[in-house]
Amino acid sequence: MAFRGFGGIATSGLIAAAILWSFATTDVEFSRLLSAGPRIADFFGRMFPPDPTVMAEIKKGSAETLRIAILGTLGAVILSVPLGILASETMVSPAVFRPIRTLLAFIRAIPLILVAMLMVGAVGLGPLPGIIAVAFHATGMLAKFYAEAIDGVSRAPIAALESAGAGPLVRLRYAIWPQMAPVVARDTIFRFELNLRESLILGIVGAGGIGFYIQTYVRSFQYDKAASVTIAVVVMVIAIEAINVALRRRFT
Amino acid sequence: MSTAVEVDDLRFAHTGADLPALERVSFRVSAGESVALLGPSGAGKTTLLALLDGRLQGWSGRVSVLGAPLDPDRPPPSARRPDTGFVFQEFALVERSSVLRNVLNGRLGRMSPLRALLGSPTKHDLEIARTALADCGIADLAERRVDSLSGGQRQRVAIARCLAQEPRLILADEPVSNLDPAHACEILALLTGAARTRGATALFSSHQPDLARRFAQRIIGMRDGRIVFDVPTSELNDDATAELYREVGPIPGIGLRAVS
Repeated sequence: MAFRGFGGIATSGLIAAAILWSFATTDVEFSRLLSAGPRIADFFGRMFPPDPTVMAEIKKGSAETLRIAILGTLGAVILSVPLGILASETMVSPAVFRPIRTLLAFIRAIPLILVAMLMVGAVGLGPLPGIIAVAFHATGMLAKFYAEAIDGVSRAPIAALESAGAGPLVRLRYAIWPQMAPVVARDTIFRFELNLRESLILGIVGAGGIGFYIQTYVRSFQYDKAASVTIAVVVMVIAIEAINVALRRRFT
Repeated sequence: MSTAVEVDDLRFAHTGADLPALERVSFRVSAGESVALLGPSGAGKTTLLALLDGRLQGWSGRVSVLGAPLDPDRPPPSARRPDTGFVFQEFALVERSSVLRNVLNGRLGRMSPLRALLGSPTKHDLEIARTALADCGIADLAERRVDSLSGGQRQRVAIARCLAQEPRLILADEPVSNLDPAHACEILALLTGAARTRGATALFSSHQPDLARRFAQRIIGMRDGRIVFDVPTSELNDDATAELYREVGPIPGIGLRAVS
């Protein structure tokens, strides 16, 4: 039983109050839902049939999004290797891994779209701010995963190499790395998939990729073209997920 | 005859433990000897061997290994570590690496740190690794991955890794307790034989009196963290062995009660 006694009553009351407050203070006019049907029908009507003439834009945008995801993931891997080592209990003392873990949690807490907007301000429009934003944002998760992979390996071979006189980095290379390699491969592929999905929307803030075209076509009421781009995005996401599932099966 | 291990009034307690794991432990092992630590689980054998290997700190007393004193507060300098080889009960191999790679891991302490990190063993390193594999009867398994081997084969790989270190002292913690009796005899014969032919000292622990008798020149009996007897194998009588296991109930490892 989750809600028991006075604490339970107080918690239930608090949740009820929060819900009522949200209804009361926001401008939620449910009457507008009634007239939404025809408008949605009109919206979809204008999206159909999708305009196939935008193939060139789709190709260009998809390629750019893919490049942002690949280079962003590469950047995140390069940053995550040292940060992952510095965030692991096995490799460093608490005085080092605690602040590094806090830093990574802080990075994870910043939304990608916010980082992208800041980067557009800093380096201008185009794919470069997108790449930097993805690399930064993904490092928060990937370095944590790498640290967990290091800490998750069997300790006995590490002790054996220590006994043989191998230093910490040599132990990492020959006792820890062979054990963690499949985990790192799986985590990196997973993060790449997330990077690709997340970078689809970067174009909306001007940080490059296919999102730019969705934004442009919707704003200029060319819903049939927006529909084509949306279909392309859906196909891309499904394709990447299928490839990743197949890849991940190999690393077990 | 020179001394391989000298321990004087050693005491050690694990952090948070009420009773010490080792207390008033004193003994010496001459170079070239083959000595067994005999005793029930929980007697302190594993702790003593790990301590001699320089992997435990915070003890008191005097310990010297291969003529050099151990520091109670810090691990020994890495240059000295390869001289002491260690064979683990659970093999402690890198399962996803090849047999040869695991044996070469025993050479890492003998290489320069840069060469070790780059993973480029010299011809000499490879030759020593291949010799160790041949001595352990597993030359044909060199390219196999460890996770495809049986228990007996794994312990042979672990012994080959230890031999590749070119140790002058071989410590082995229950090296055969995971193996069936036939393999246990083979492995202990291999371990003590390899130590003898290389002029190395062997100190291994066991909870099986018959194995200790068969492969050691001297037997040190341990119980509840203390040494109960220390005799040449020929003088070990059944009463002393029985005393060692007296009152050790159906659950071994409960030990650590005061000796009455």
